Amino acid sequence: MSDLLFHLFALLTVASALGVVFNKNAVASALCFLLSLVGVAGLFVLLDAFLLAVLLVLVYAGAVVALFLFIIMLLDMQGGDRKRFTKTTILSATVAGGLLLTGLVTFASHGLVETADPAAVKVVGSSLRAYAEQLFTVYLLPVQIVGFLLLIAMLGVIVLSKKFEGLEDVK
Amino acid sequence: MTIDQLQAAAANNLWAAITPEIALGVLALLLLGLEMILPKARHSVIPACSIAGQLGVLFALALNFTTTPYLDRDTFNGLLHHSRDGQYLRAFFLVCSLLVSVLGVVALAKQKMPRIEFFHIVLVVTAAMMLLAQSANFVLLFVALETITVGFYILVSYTRSNPLSLEAGLKYLVLGALSSAILLFGIVLLYGVAGNPNSLGSTASPMSYAGVRQFLAANPDNFLASIGIVFVLSGIAFKIGAVPFQIWIPDVYQGAPTPVTAFLAVASKAAGFAVLIGLLPVFQPYAGLVAVTLSIMAGATILFGNLAALTQHNVKRLLGLSGVSHAGYLLMGVVAAQTVPQAIGAIYFYLFAYLLASFAVFAVMTHVAGVNDADQDLDHYADFGKKRPYLAGVLAIGLGSLAGIPPLAGFMGKLMVFIAAFKAGLYPLLAIAIVGVVLSIYYYFGWIKAAFFTTWRPPLAPGETEPAEAAATPVGFPAGLALGVLAAGSVIFGFFQGPIAAWLLAR
Repeated sequence: MSDLLFHLFALLTVASALGVVFNKNAVASALCFLLSLVGVAGLFVLLDAFLLAVLLVLVYAGAVVALFLFIIMLLDMQGGDRKRFTKTTILSATVAGGLLLTGLVTFASHGLVETADPAAVKVVGSSLRAYAEQLFTVYLLPVQIVGFLLLIAMLGVIVLSKKFEGLEDVK
Repeated sequence: MTIDQLQAAAANNLWAAITPEIALGVLALLLLGLEMILPKARHSVIPACSIAGQLGVLFALALNFTTTPYLDRDTFNGLLHHSRDGQYLRAFFLVCSLLVSVLGVVALAKQKMPRIEFFHIVLVVTAAMMLLAQSANFVLLFVALETITVGFYILVSYTRSNPLSLEAGLKYLVLGALSSAILLFGIVLLYGVAGNPNSLGSTASPMSYAGVRQFLAANPDNFLASIGIVFVLSGIAFKIGAVPFQIWIPDVYQGAPTPVTAFLAVASKAAGFAVLIGLLPVFQPYAGLVAVTLSIMAGATILFGNLAALTQHNVKRLLGLSGVSHAGYLLMGVVAAQTVPQAIGAIYFYLFAYLLASFAVFAVMTHVAGVNDADQDLDHYADFGKKRPYLAGVLAIGLGSLAGIPPLAGFMGKLMVFIAAFKAGLYPLLAIAIVGVVLSIYYYFGWIKAAFFTTWRPPLAPGETEPAEAAATPVGFPAGLALGVLAAGSVIFGFFQGPIAAWLLAR
């Protein structure tokens, strides 16, 4: 049952990820992205990482994709014509694809981690409680830094988007 | 976790250990508060407050430099490790941010744009760099690095009325996100293999440097760990601008406001090297892999940087590409540091000499730049020696030090790194580096020639009038003092390295 579900979610993730890339229509791309995220969330649930699954759906599906859709509709994007492939594009795509394939093959042959019996491994820290306990004791410093990170990100949006009028150097 | 364990973990968050960083954060918030309270006409005092505050923090840091009770201790449950090098880098980044603030006052006066946010972001980025240099955990490393990078996205595109600045910001955003993703992928691979309870020598703390090192020592040829290491090195190579991750450098350096370019060139690069040096002992069981990866990068970086800089006419692009070659020399030092511990001291001295010389040159550029900050050509330096002798003198000293001309500090820095590389037996790399230094003399002296010896002008075409001279920016008090100190430092540390070099090399 779990195997079947894994294949189902994996297929959903990959198929909709391809949909993001190949769709001409930006809105359809964004919706495919949403589907892909749902697939990933399903995979997280299968791994007993419920919190991650919920966060993924809440943050990405709830906020980020909604934002994408807003912006796409605001800009009123039309699916433009595809550019023809130039020789350089084809060549570099072949090289990149070859590298990716080599990587995957080596990964499959060398990258084996000893398969563990999932039941034998005690899962720690997947509950909200365990997560919060770590976050507010051991990792309190990074949390504080992230606070400053968000502050400068917000300031940056203001600086880059607001029209500046006031001349401060009226000495 | 029991409540006792949690209390013990919370009690290990010794906030007093990071007083300088907290002070910078508070100072940054204070600037925003002052902007709200003060009337607009008085806003010009805020940058002065920022500079005075940083001087205070620097002074306090200097007082406790060797006496801080946290030296050689882990705090924050192993997130931070306080060391001598950490103290040195703290002071280094503080000096950088001080100079950037001084230059910021000069550069922003020419532009119509908000002022206070610039100083705020510089302070936050500096605090993050100081934490990054002392980090002993991948979580903290990534969070601090992201804070720095996000700060730089904003700073690079700060002059948003200039399309080149926006373009630079966008390029830095896209490529910076890519490099962060590569770095994160590497960290996750290391975390995955080191934390897997079924793998040999797995660790309970796979995010800490010590845990990863313990795992790597137990598995000296794990495939996934090797890939993780290469990815982490690649992510850092982007930050220091090493080949093949240097593509963003010329455009971003040209588009960014000049003080930000200086900040990127010196502090961001030093932060990358601090991380690299911090990770060397962690990756020590894979020393062969690290040495090969970094050696190839170093050789390619030295050659690319110097060859590409030869043809540049825009001085910001020129300095950016020459900065790439400096990253190459320093990478050679990092390779040497695997076997010769003194190389770490040599790298830090090199960075110090690079700070003095780079900021001297960038400070002169800030004064020469017109309203369009991205447009700074060698032609703008015609007759510079006659028109502005003080600035031209500082420029000559800075460029000479960057080129590594004795008896300036840059020469001593290069010499120390080269000696370390010689001791480590990196002869092919040394040969490449010496070729690189010879090449670099051509373009550095091309600039000096443009400033001092070019007197011929193409005759004016009929009907063309003499181009209007841009109003020269006068050299104010703090900037003039900084220029003098930087130039004097380059000369003095060339003759006499004194206790600084002895302290750095003693290890």
